[in-house]
Amino acid sequence: MSHYNNTGEYNNPAYHDSDTLEIDRSPSRKSQSHHSNPHGNPYPRDDGAGGQRGRSDLQQLPGGVQSSYDDAQERVPWGGWQEGSWRGRDSIPMGLLPPRSESPRWQQHDLNHSGYQIDQATHYDTTPPVRLPSATSGHVSMRFRGSRKMSLFPVGEAALGNLGLSEDDIRNEMENEEQHLVKELVAMSTRDRIKAIRDLPMSFDDKKHIRGQVLALKSFKKSRHLNCFSDCSTTVSLAFRRCGANMTLARQTLELWRGTMKEVGGKFGTGVLSYFKFLKWLLMFNIFSFLVNFGFITIPQLIYHPTPDIPTGVSFKGLEILTGAGYFSHTVMYYGGYSNKTQGTGGWPEYNMQLAYFFTIAAYMVLCGAALIYSMASSFRKKYVLADSGLGGAWQLLCSWDFSVTNERAVRQRKNNLRIQLKESLSEKFQVALLPLTERLKHYGVFLGTWLLSTGMALGCGASVYFLCQYDTWRTRQSADKASGSLLEEAATLLLPFVVSLINLVVPLFYSLFKKIEHYSNPRMQVYAIIVRNVILKMSILGILCYYWMKDVANTFSCWESIVGQALYRLVIVDFLFIMLGSFFGEFLSNVIGTKCIQSLGVPEFDVARNVLDLIYAQTLAWIGIYFSPLLPVIQIIKFFILFYLKKVSLTQNCQPPRRAGRAAQMQTIFIAILFFPSFVGALSMVAYTVWTISNCHVSPDPSPSLPPSDNCGPFRGLNTTFSAIQIWMDDLNGVDGFQWIVWIYQHVIRSEIFYFLVSLIILVFIYIFRQITQGRKLLIILLRQQIVNEGKDKAFLLEKLQTLQKSKQNKQKKKKQARKRQENESSTGMLQALLARQRLEQEHGDSSSFGVPMPSGHSVSTTSSALMQAMLARQYAEDQDVASYRGVPFPADPAPASSSALIQAMQARQRAESQNEDEFYRAPVQSQNPVNALPSAMIQVMQARQRVESEQEEDEFYRAPVHSEHPVSSTSSAMMQVMQARLRAEEESEFYRAPASSQHPDVSGTGSALIQAMLARQQVEEEYGDRY
Amino acid sequence: MGTTASQLRKDLLSEYQELTFLTKQEIILAHKRFSELLSKEDRNIPTPRVPMEKVLSLPELKSNPFRKRICHVFSTSDMKDGSLTFEDFLDLLSAFSDSATLEIKSHYAFRIFDFDDDGTLDGGDLEKLVNCLTGETDGTRLTTEEMRQLISNILEESDIDKDGTVNLSEFQHVISRSPDFVSSFKIVL
Repeated sequence: MSHYNNTGEYNNPAYHDSDTLEIDRSPSRKSQSHHSNPHGNPYPRDDGAGGQRGRSDLQQLPGGVQSSYDDAQERVPWGGWQEGSWRGRDSIPMGLLPPRSESPRWQQHDLNHSGYQIDQATHYDTTPPVRLPSATSGHVSMRFRGSRKMSLFPVGEAALGNLGLSEDDIRNEMENEEQHLVKELVAMSTRDRIKAIRDLPMSFDDKKHIRGQVLALKSFKKSRHLNCFSDCSTTVSLAFRRCGANMTLARQTLELWRGTMKEVGGKFGTGVLSYFKFLKWLLMFNIFSFLVNFGFITIPQLIYHPTPDIPTGVSFKGLEILTGAGYFSHTVMYYGGYSNKTQGTGGWPEYNMQLAYFFTIAAYMVLCGAALIYSMASSFRKKYVLADSGLGGAWQLLCSWDFSVTNERAVRQRKNNLRIQLKESLSEKFQVALLPLTERLKHYGVFLGTWLLSTGMALGCGASVYFLCQYDTWRTRQSADKASGSLLEEAATLLLPFVVSLINLVVPLFYSLFKKIEHYSNPRMQVYAIIVRNVILKMSILGILCYYWMKDVANTFSCWESIVGQALYRLVIVDFLFIMLGSFFGEFLSNVIGTKCIQSLGVPEFDVARNVLDLIYAQTLAWIGIYFSPLLPVIQIIKFFILFYLKKVSLTQNCQPPRRAGRAAQMQTIFIAILFFPSFVGALSMVAYTVWTISNCHVSPDPSPSLPPSDNCGPFRGLNTTFSAIQIWMDDLNGVDGFQWIVWIYQHVIRSEIFYFLVSLIILVFIYIFRQITQGRKLLIILLRQQIVNEGKDKAFLLEKLQTLQKSKQNKQKKKKQARKRQENESSTGMLQALLARQRLEQEHGDSSSFGVPMPSGHSVSTTSSALMQAMLARQYAEDQDVASYRGVPFPADPAPASSSALIQAMQARQRAESQNEDEFYRAPVQSQNPVNALPSAMIQVMQARQRVESEQEEDEFYRAPVHSEHPVSSTSSAMMQVMQARLRAEEESEFYRAPASSQHPDVSGTGSALIQAMLARQQVEEEYGDRY
Repeated sequence: MGTTASQLRKDLLSEYQELTFLTKQEIILAHKRFSELLSKEDRNIPTPRVPMEKVLSLPELKSNPFRKRICHVFSTSDMKDGSLTFEDFLDLLSAFSDSATLEIKSHYAFRIFDFDDDGTLDGGDLEKLVNCLTGETDGTRLTTEEMRQLISNILEESDIDKDGTVNLSEFQHVISRSPDFVSSFKIVL
């Protein structure tokens, strides 16, 4: 056995789902790992017989084929299904038999596994087959349910025994469960069934088996009611499923950067990978928005006006790529390049550019919002789980081990980091001790200072940007007056975006210095603080810019939308340049410095948070720009595409994985939330304000905040607000029949206050109700938790009781045994011995029945003690027998042929053996403390022991007869002798063959013959016995 | 092995697809990788097994601290030698795939972490787990005192019924609270 774990701890091949199975684990574990019993390792295969069987298997067939062959063979004859330990078939001979599987099957079973019969010659075939379900197969049925229905089966197989259930009950339970499962699966629709089977936490073979059963049942049912409809529906559903599978396949094939992602994940872990995933996700947003905008706005425009109206004197100079001004400002790049006409002359279908522009932008914004809300919600649900505060979160660390990391160095580094983090989490625990008041005050002071400083810096940056903007306006006016349009003038427009990007680059670096003076108790808090400060900075700058565009630019320039579009274009481009420079200086240079000049700095880490915030900022620009520059997504796509490779190269060349692994999922959730809340909502409100200033016009008499679309360019020229395009459309539709409902919706839903009022009211009510439900659930969780704790306490209490009971029983037995030994020495006559033996047997019988050994012959099982003890007792018997036989004194080795009374002799022999057995029994009481651990693995032993108990019991009754009435003795004694002799012989033979078994294989046929003899004899006895009664 | 794709019969392929979380492509790729691991004479056997040492030579598993446990958990071998058949291999990949459910993942993680295969995570298992994660050498191992503290922390955190061990349901509870688990319990071929 080439166990990788050969310390003898491989005790329990069964894997228990049930939480009741670790009964009394703690004390027994120690004894188990140290005891020197040769049968301590309860793997059946490690017993003599099991080992032999394994070897004989190997002899017959070469290993690999063997297993499948065997599996097949074992599965076929019984129909029921067996499961070994986890995966193998360690206990397959114990497998389930169908409820009424009569002896032929049992025999077949025996023949298949004759190796097991060697040391259980007392196994008589006519006894009702002892069907001990292996705990392991029971376990499998438990595993079926897994945690899915954990609550339905709070007890495991051992605990079932605890309830005083016999093996039959347990087996029935298991079979029922399997049947139940199969039935459940059959009742499901095909898709659900496939999913359900797939979700079973079982090995492939078992799943296949269940599936086979389900399909068989299904086809059986189907053959009964076969009709065209069901046939058709099956075909259709099959086709759909295939189609779906193909779709997923196609999606996976098209998946971008799969290999790169894997490489990054393999080297840097999921934390860094989440940056790239985020990048890819944003790229998808932009590709979608590009497709929508290009398809619905740009293509129609290009069809009807293939050449842009470029004024003379403006030509492409090259700098436009950076500034976006000049040549570009007259193309479809910007708002200004689109016409306001309803196209459709000359055979083309009518196409209202105004409506197209409006609805495309609106639809894109709505879809984006929906996608964001959806992913944010699902992310919050799945990933943002609040850990219990106060605990070290050690599990979080242990569970966050990245299985996808494949790089040797990265693994070592991660181990190192994890160790440090574990140690930190431990020291954090100690640090919880309260700091002195002055220290705390100092900390609060530092927090206050840093927050004030960071907010002040953000505001200062905003203000400086605003003044720069005003200077920009002034300068543009100047240049507009001159109307020169030189290259330098154009380059000067880059000043503002340059400053903004510089602020975005430098100030965050400054913020990150704060962590040197701040002392957050939790490193996560520090990360959050940095994120919040950066977000405040970026949003204040963007807010100022928007304010400037809305207030100053809109009132100053004639085609102000295009001007804003250009400004956004410049911001996007310059931001891109700065990100590239940032990667170069921030990562490459610090790498060089860290490795060459100042070793203490070390290789820089990849700062996921900062990089993701950069992405969010870039995306915000793109969203704001969607109205002013419909083709801005193109730039964004190119930018993200290059960024991906740039970051990847920079990462692999310059960076090391972040030291703080873990929490990647939570960070991702936070990033999505940030992308939604300040970023998307801000952009949306900006766009909405531009489009929807209608309320301003109506409500306030002051005309200044209104934002009329520019008069000379763009699709909405000449309108009061952009939204009035809809008003005009509605007026047009009002006259047309068949579109009245749209008008009605417009007037009663879109434009009615009462509708929104009602909707908000209803939403508020729902929020309140759900909040109450949540509160109720929280209460329930607390209660359930308490219940679990209480049940745990109950369990511990009962176990303790059980142990004390067990101990007291053992003590009692010890006393009895000593008394009996004395008597034995004194007694000389066979009759007395027989009487004593009978007494003892009766005691034993009483004991055993009070121990709850279920008697298949119909004894009512007294349920005073648990099945646990029963299993233990049985196991002890089995072990004793084995040990005794190893010692070579199982029974008298000399079958005295000329005995005057066979009965007495048999009794003596038995007594002797039994007293030895009992010696063994008491010699190792410690082992008995862990019946549960032993139970599943010592199944064979249990079975043997049970058979033996049974046979003894029968003998007991047998002996009882001659005592009560003298005359049947003569008639039965001969048979009895036969039995005993046969048994002895069988045991001798097994003994004989076992001794050299280590070197040579047992002569199975020899043992078999002894066995058969024993069986025959037994049969005879029983017949006679039966005749008499 | 040029014939890998054709080696996998179509009905088998669809069965594999149905019973695992893998897509057709992944299964074919897995088959290719698996056949590369097989020695020449093994290929003619109906259900060949790849010994653990060879499975561990895969770059995806090579530096995984749990590689041996993974093989043992997914192996159906009688010899308990961690050797894998193709179906075992698929099982492994399926459990570690992106689309496997949290339940499956936590179930197998539990088995991987349960070093003595006794159905619960007790002190010994946790110690081995921590040692596996921090490195086995004396220099990297936690001190006895730290280990004791850590294990008591872990049990305090997760042992709901206070029996001194972490069983599967408790473990799954823990897992459900550590959101990183799903994304990190992943092996992609």
